[in-house]
Amino acid sequence: MSDAPRSGGAKGRFVTTTVEVEGRTEQRVVELPAFEPEPWGVDARLTHVGARATRTDGALKATGHPGYTTDVRRANQAYAAIVRAIVPRGRITALDLSAARAFPGVLDVLVAADVPARTRLFGAEITYTGQPIAAVCATTQEIADAAARLVHAAVESLPFAVTVEQALEGGAVRPKIENNLVGGKPIVLERGDVAAALAAAEVTITREVRTPCVLHSAMEPHCAVAEWDGDRLTVWESTQGIYRVRDNVAKALGIPLTDVRVICEAMGGGFGAKNYAGAHTYIAAIFARRLGRAVACVVDRTGEQIDTGNRPSSWQRITLGATRDGRLTAIDLEARIPIGIGGFEGGPGAIYHELYACPNVRTRETSAFVNTAAMAAFRAPGHAEGSVGLEIAMNALALELGIDPLALRMRNIAMRDQKKDRPYTGNRLAECYEEGARRIGWHGREASKAAAGPRGEHLKRGYGVAAQVWSTGGGPPCYCNIRFNNDGTADVMAGSQDLGTGTRTILAQVAAEALGHRLDGVRAVIGDTASAPFAGNSWGSMTVASLAPAVRMAAEDARRSLLEAAAGLLGVAPTDLETRDGRVTVRDTDRSMTFGEVTAKLGNVMIQGQGSRGPNPQDAGIVTTGAQFAEVEVDTETGVVRVLRVVAVHDAGRIVNPTLAESQLEGGIIQGLGFALFEERRLDARSGLPLNVGLHEYKVPTHADMPVIDGHFLDGADPKANHVGVRGIAEPAIIPTAPAIAGAVADALGVEVNELPMTPWRVLAALRGD
Amino acid sequence: MNLSINGRAVAADVAGATTLLELLRDTLALTGTKRACDIGECGACTVLVDGRPIYACLTLAHACEGQAIRTIEGLGAPGAPHALQEAFVAEDAAQCGFCTPGQLMAAAALLAANADPSDAEVIAALSGNLCRCGTYPKIVRAVRRAAATLRSSADV
Ligand code: FES
Ligand code: FES
Repeated sequence: MSDAPRSGGAKGRFVTTTVEVEGRTEQRVVELPAFEPEPWGVDARLTHVGARATRTDGALKATGHPGYTTDVRRANQAYAAIVRAIVPRGRITALDLSAARAFPGVLDVLVAADVPARTRLFGAEITYTGQPIAAVCATTQEIADAAARLVHAAVESLPFAVTVEQALEGGAVRPKIENNLVGGKPIVLERGDVAAALAAAEVTITREVRTPCVLHSAMEPHCAVAEWDGDRLTVWESTQGIYRVRDNVAKALGIPLTDVRVICEAMGGGFGAKNYAGAHTYIAAIFARRLGRAVACVVDRTGEQIDTGNRPSSWQRITLGATRDGRLTAIDLEARIPIGIGGFEGGPGAIYHELYACPNVRTRETSAFVNTAAMAAFRAPGHAEGSVGLEIAMNALALELGIDPLALRMRNIAMRDQKKDRPYTGNRLAECYEEGARRIGWHGREASKAAAGPRGEHLKRGYGVAAQVWSTGGGPPCYCNIRFNNDGTADVMAGSQDLGTGTRTILAQVAAEALGHRLDGVRAVIGDTASAPFAGNSWGSMTVASLAPAVRMAAEDARRSLLEAAAGLLGVAPTDLETRDGRVTVRDTDRSMTFGEVTAKLGNVMIQGQGSRGPNPQDAGIVTTGAQFAEVEVDTETGVVRVLRVVAVHDAGRIVNPTLAESQLEGGIIQGLGFALFEERRLDARSGLPLNVGLHEYKVPTHADMPVIDGHFLDGADPKANHVGVRGIAEPAIIPTAPAIAGAVADALGVEVNELPMTPWRVLAALRGD
Repeated sequence: MNLSINGRAVAADVAGATTLLELLRDTLALTGTKRACDIGECGACTVLVDGRPIYACLTLAHACEGQAIRTIEGLGAPGAPHALQEAFVAEDAAQCGFCTPGQLMAAAALLAANADPSDAEVIAALSGNLCRCGTYPKIVRAVRRAAATLRSSADV
């Protein structure tokens, strides 16, 4: 049960509480909702919530949706292009803009002296390849691109570092830091006594694992269109956080928040890289002001791949200690992470403290600034990398102990939140393992391998398993307003955005449920700071868990008013009424009115509802857990790994829309497959230059690489988490995929491939034993 | 230059270096065709030229003189969708939706040539179209569903 503060108590409406964001804990003021509906329990009979509704914007997307930022066409719109540094470290001694300025069609050029310092744009110091150093604006994109190539920078090159080792040996990689360690020193987290536990362990194993730097590679590039009307600025941005972009822009340009409006009608993918305004945003806004016309700044594919975020690479050395019968007694991690020129310390360590029950855990992470583009959160940042190391080590331990890898995992399930020493609101990981094992045929896998054998001696089959834990409770602040139009339709307004996850559809389903409306009578209005109250970024798998309770509360609030109005019209008490399918009915009679009839009678008296998100319980952790299983076939002559099947079973609380949930699960698995087999940003350590820019050389999965994917959720509300019973899905989906594939490859070959991606070259090297 | 776009004759004054994608999106404001890379690496800009799927970002507008171009706007509209578009919605084959028009046009070319493609044939025909959201499995299902719908409506 929750001991979370509720309103009406002596504490008042605004209280300080502890919240967890992407593994970090913060103190924040929260507003207690005026009321909280009774939770929809496990047995609640719901109509719209849980239904396989098709996306409300599906037809638009299937017909060339015109609402993406890259599609915005304002009258007289101009186009900007960014000029980028082509060395990792240096000082600009001269910038020759004359040819660019003289190019026909060029309208303006921006350099450091033209922009407010708070935008952090340009500047003479080059600290990574791809850093913006100037921008050009022209009447067409082609002219802007061509003119940008004519900007000539004279650069004095300086020593650089692109690896952790280089960063630890050399001088500061950028101004204003004393050494290159993020946080000034390695981050060590320990519970229990790892040294003593390892010394006493009956069995220990050690592994070294490397994971690659991978790129978000959303299909729609980062982009913004800016237009001023006097002092008021409208920004269309492909973003995961319209409110945050509004904040960023107002601060960077030094203008009041009320003068900035941010719109994101549709966006073509983010995956963590689109959480803030960026150079492109400020460039568009500054050009637009100087030129008095709308300006679009779309990052080109090269810029997208070298300068808009990445999941940093990692080196991990893992030592596990265990009893002979397979109980973990110690987990020790040493990790090195080159995070780029900026970003945050969100390394692989966190999952080592959470996934398995173990009294003694120590992680020591050395994160270094290096002269490459800044990292950005990328779908389960840290956990996706950490699970690769941890799970490879678990497989090695299973082998050492002669225990089935699944049995070893079942024996070490963490049923409590060990980081905070409290229970979880729910955790059905054991069921996930069992259901997944059943679906993939885990216990009959040796027979399946033998049956597949005759295809050729060089084709080896293998099976792997891995698990996942990720905090998915969401939380405040987060608001929703609902208003009825006088035809009975309802607008559900929230300052959120839809990345492709289906936010619009989910909000409509929850609102329709709580109102007793028809799904097509409800429309989600999101993606515009001018029309909807605050909702946070779509990150940390928190959108549904944060928003759905606020939407439900707003709907209950609006429904109450609607019933009061209808009661007067029908001459009964509000408590005599029920709602269903957009109709108010007097209980146990056939007297009823449609919502439209009620609101038409009211004329322009507006039925409204307000909802807000209350705090999470403080005495329990809220996580999504799950297990994935992979079946692979490895060609030992070519080294090619083919993933044949992935089975995924997750416990994510109540599933609002199974179809959309499965889509996200498949998306995470496919990105995990890319991480396992293909994706790697390659850097030349000697020149510091990226070697594989663009989507030909940087390989994301294609249609041809698809395994059969069997994604499944253990549906079951988590009413302790929030009153809708929901948790998040997006990031949990990617975490176990790559380690499950790595386990399957090792199982197939009898040797481990402990560096991702498992390219043919690395597979063959492992087979040769080098 | 003259060409036909979605069945309508279009006369345009186009510079020599202008790509078909620029003509469609920037000159004619047909933004349904998406630009994700502009260098022939992703398939988002796929349109049909005389029935053949091509990357519009790699095709000069002038190379299409006198030819018939079909874009996503010509496949169907929200009120009057093509069977493929309906199947994409039914199967949830679009997440962010940015790659979707290109996937649909590649699929339309496939179905025009092969009314009953196997999974492998769909995969082969669409392998030039990247999707970062991971809709691939649902796209294959949607294309086969649409093929079945089109075959059964051809039967009547
Ligand atoms: S935009 Fe043409 S292939 Fe990518
Ligand atoms: S649906 Fe987002 S890229 Fe394909």
